[in-house]
Amino acid sequence: MSGHAAIEVRQASKTYLSKQDQVDALTAVSFRVMPREFVTLVGTSGCGKSTVLSMIAGLIFPTEGEVRLFHEPVRGPSRRIGYMLQQDCLLDWRTVEQNIALGLEIQGQKSDEMMKHARYLLNELGLGHTLYQYPSQLSGGMRQRVALVRTLAVQPDVLLLDEPFSALDYQNKLHLEMLVTRVLKQQGMPALLVTHDLEEALAVSDRILVMGGQPGTIRRTMEIPNDLRKANPLDARAHPLFRPLFQELWGEIDQ
Amino acid sequence: MKKKHHKPHRSQLHANYVRRIRIQEFWVVFTRIALLVLFIAGWEYSADAGWIDPFLFSSPSRITELFIQMAGSGNLFHDILVTTVETILGFALGTLGGISLATLIWASPFLSRVLDPYLVVLNSMPKVALGPLFIVAIGAGYGSVLAMGVAITIIITTLVIHTSFQSVDRNYLRLARSFGASRGQLFRKIIFPASIPDMIAALKVNVGLSWVGVIVGEFLVSKDGLGHLIIYGFQVFNLNLVLMSLLIVAVCATVMYKIVYWLEKRLLKYRMAE
Ligand SMILES: Nc1ncnc2c1ncn2[C@@H]1O[C@H](COP(=O)(O)OP(=O)(O)OP(=O)(O)O)[C@@H](O)[C@H]1O
Ligand SMILES: [Mg+2]
Repeated sequence: MSGHAAIEVRQASKTYLSKQDQVDALTAVSFRVMPREFVTLVGTSGCGKSTVLSMIAGLIFPTEGEVRLFHEPVRGPSRRIGYMLQQDCLLDWRTVEQNIALGLEIQGQKSDEMMKHARYLLNELGLGHTLYQYPSQLSGGMRQRVALVRTLAVQPDVLLLDEPFSALDYQNKLHLEMLVTRVLKQQGMPALLVTHDLEEALAVSDRILVMGGQPGTIRRTMEIPNDLRKANPLDARAHPLFRPLFQELWGEIDQ
Repeated sequence: MKKKHHKPHRSQLHANYVRRIRIQEFWVVFTRIALLVLFIAGWEYSADAGWIDPFLFSSPSRITELFIQMAGSGNLFHDILVTTVETILGFALGTLGGISLATLIWASPFLSRVLDPYLVVLNSMPKVALGPLFIVAIGAGYGSVLAMGVAITIIITTLVIHTSFQSVDRNYLRLARSFGASRGQLFRKIIFPASIPDMIAALKVNVGLSWVGVIVGEFLVSKDGLGHLIIYGFQVFNLNLVLMSLLIVAVCATVMYKIVYWLEKRLLKYRMAE
């Protein structure tokens, strides 16, 4: 079974070192994300959620333990990963078209065909008309969608999302949740999401990992029932199972 | 029908708004010009009426007269040309040199840390005090004047641009690195373009600085140029000449500043958008 995992984290610990002191951020974190699976990390601020994502993205390395991506140990940033940060990080001197081309340029795979695909994605997210605009001309929700297109344009095999919707208002957030879950389902892409928003976690995930502690570790795993998984993020929120699960999750976190 | 009504109403509102802004703009420009005319007329009148000593403070008519006379002989344009070329060269070399040095230092974090205190010391030193050194090393000619123009701009540019390189949003760098960017790519795709606004700001400051460097340089060594005219006018107590040269420097510096401003507008299009 473990042989099929898209992401596998094994007994990973992380200690940040600086001149003044050391911070033990994570200890003995283990979990897997299977193909097509949408897994969410929740937990109090500072429990190491972003650290986990950075490790998987190959930006930092575990002090102990191991991270594997499609069986391969992670040794640095991989083309198979699309990493979406909390801030949209659009380059304000580039047009939308140039922004969504950034990843392709860096990876040296910018071609007419890839750009066509990127523009197609932009269209899909309802932003086809913004191609030649600058980020300063876009609203927060639009910017976040452009950032999503930029991430997807390199055609990754896994998506890492670090609180990508937390800066948005409720309506935009719901809208983007629907878009992301739809795109992921379409492409059968596994994803790992970090969020503060427990409702969001319940509405989009197949499985929720509750983190906590100092240094952080995984306290509990919550499997989402099939009915809820199948519903889209909007319908899931109205599902009879939703409230009880929310209460349960709330109880896990707030201790 | 409602829509039809709606539209002319709005554009009427807008037209009024634009008109109000136009009127404001008109008064600003008008007052500006009036101030200048008033100043020149007052100056001329005070000199004629004997309120101020025209031998010390000259007068607009005397300056114009001298200008026409010197322009006729053609020497004046030679002086203007010499100083302008020196300034543009000093400005360009200082700015480009500063940006290149900053890039070099950025490329090696180790070098950056080693050189840091030296740069700070060099920067706090009055660069015009290096004049005698340049004259000894390069000779009393255009070279020394140019060196002054460069010296006065290059260190501060290096410092400012290097700081700018280092203060690029760390999330931009994380983003690029998550795509697998190399250090060179980080620099070309993120750090350098992100620092362009600061480079333009440096350009603007350097326009002024390079004029200082070149004029002081000409005070010290040169046999021609506007700086030479100023110091020569001072020595023979021809204040007409001094003031005329000053005015020409002001005009040339303004033109250069305007060109940089135009460049800024072109390069920072994206900031002007909406
Ligand atoms: N670069 C770093 N250097 C030193 N300590 C760090 C660094 N990054 C994170 N930490 C520390 O590691 C711990 C975990 O940080 P992390 O950012 O992973 O938490 P998080 O769960 O993502 O928090 P939040 O929900 O607030 O984003 C924190 O105590 C933090 O202060
Ligand atoms: Mg975080």
